[in-house]
Amino acid sequence: MRGRTVLTVVLLLMVAVVVQTTLFGRIPLVTPDLVSLVVIMLCLTRIRPELILAIAFTSGLIVDLLGSSVLGLRAVVFTTVAYLGLRTRDRAEIGRVAVALWAGALTLVGIVLLIVIGTLFGQSSLLGEDTFSRVILVPLANLAIAAAVAPLVVRLVDRDKTAFRYP
Amino acid sequence: MLNRDSPARLLPTFVTLLVIGVLLMTIDVRLEGKGVVEVVRSGAQAIIAPLQEAASLLVNPAADMFDSLTHVASLREENIALRAELAEAEADLVAVQDQLALLALLEQLYELDSAGPELGQTVANVIGKVDAAFVVDKGTNDGVVVGQPVIDTNGYVVGTVRTVTSGSATIVPITTGRNGLTVLVNAQVGTLTPQVNTSEMRLLIGDAREPVLQGDRVVTSAGSTSYPAGLPVGVVIADAAPESNSLAATVEPYMNTDTLRLVVILAWPPTPVTAGTDETVVVEATTTTTTEDATSTTTPENEG
Repeated sequence: MRGRTVLTVVLLLMVAVVVQTTLFGRIPLVTPDLVSLVVIMLCLTRIRPELILAIAFTSGLIVDLLGSSVLGLRAVVFTTVAYLGLRTRDRAEIGRVAVALWAGALTLVGIVLLIVIGTLFGQSSLLGEDTFSRVILVPLANLAIAAAVAPLVVRLVDRDKTAFRYP
Repeated sequence: MLNRDSPARLLPTFVTLLVIGVLLMTIDVRLEGKGVVEVVRSGAQAIIAPLQEAASLLVNPAADMFDSLTHVASLREENIALRAELAEAEADLVAVQDQLALLALLEQLYELDSAGPELGQTVANVIGKVDAAFVVDKGTNDGVVVGQPVIDTNGYVVGTVRTVTSGSATIVPITTGRNGLTVLVNAQVGTLTPQVNTSEMRLLIGDAREPVLQGDRVVTSAGSTSYPAGLPVGVVIADAAPESNSLAATVEPYMNTDTLRLVVILAWPPTPVTAGTDETVVVEATTTTTTEDATSTTTPENEG
């Protein structure tokens, strides 16, 4: 991964973390999980898969460090989501709708994992008061955002203007 | 379009990271968020908090506008109700001021000092939210330390300080904290614990002598090691009678984390001895100046 790509990825993640914890912390109706979405979108790039897993793990760890949940919870969840994303990313190539559905489905897996692993480690109440509505709203929000920006993010990270241009 | 080569190291890398993640979770649970984990959390927060503070300056006006638009239908009715409440509160204030003047006169006559220990306060702006926890813009530079109780501007219990940096602190609300809260309902001491997927809390009284009724106030108990006694926590939402010796009821907390913009961090206990006393601690009057982008608080310690 080149220096510029590293910088782009770090910037993307920093913006995602800050926007997630400020803007979307204030607006309860619109609740995407931007950090997991960035991780999912990175699976579509040409970054080495092992590095994507490491990025996913680190991103999750940062969110864990900032929040009140147990350290490593999101790191495990984001890494699993990234692994599934890397294994299934071929299916997202069909078109914009496929990318959106793929991102939404992976987010759903992430949320369910977060609740299941969180509950196993006694973190169920730490995830908030509206855990079950998040199972529906977060994947839908991520789906919509992925449809709009996923191709752009891939082009930005890979610096390839032809990437994800659909006929 | 994509490089479809599935490297042989992908699965081992995934498994290794999973193992590291589970190990971290186990260590954090065993250490109860203290020790190394606390230091690392504070470090991460110190890096992100200035960015959150800067972002909140841009985000807050937009979020306020969004809030107004989504609640436009109920705003008019809310304004009328608030005006009525304000008039009532102003009338009460006048009555209290008369009583305070009388009290001051009597204290002067009998040469008495003000009663009760007093607490320093730090008023802080909420600048970020992660899961249920939220980040405020005051830290160790303002006298905030881990474990201090936090109330909202109405005096209702919000939670405790989880981690702190020089310029920020993370607060875990009572509705999601890992530990229960020792409370008092009609002279009966019980424990209030959070529940999954709801803001309502579960009240358990181990040695119940009488029922609790809908509308009964729940306040912090002198037996609490985290909060001063007498702070309002919530209200019982349904009648409950003792079964055998124990009683279980549901409590709706007064505080609402969704609408929190300002919180008050209490310097409690002022001395270790006062933490366990039965007396209700008086929250002292402080001078607080809140502007669009900053809040400053003056406490007697600051004043020397």
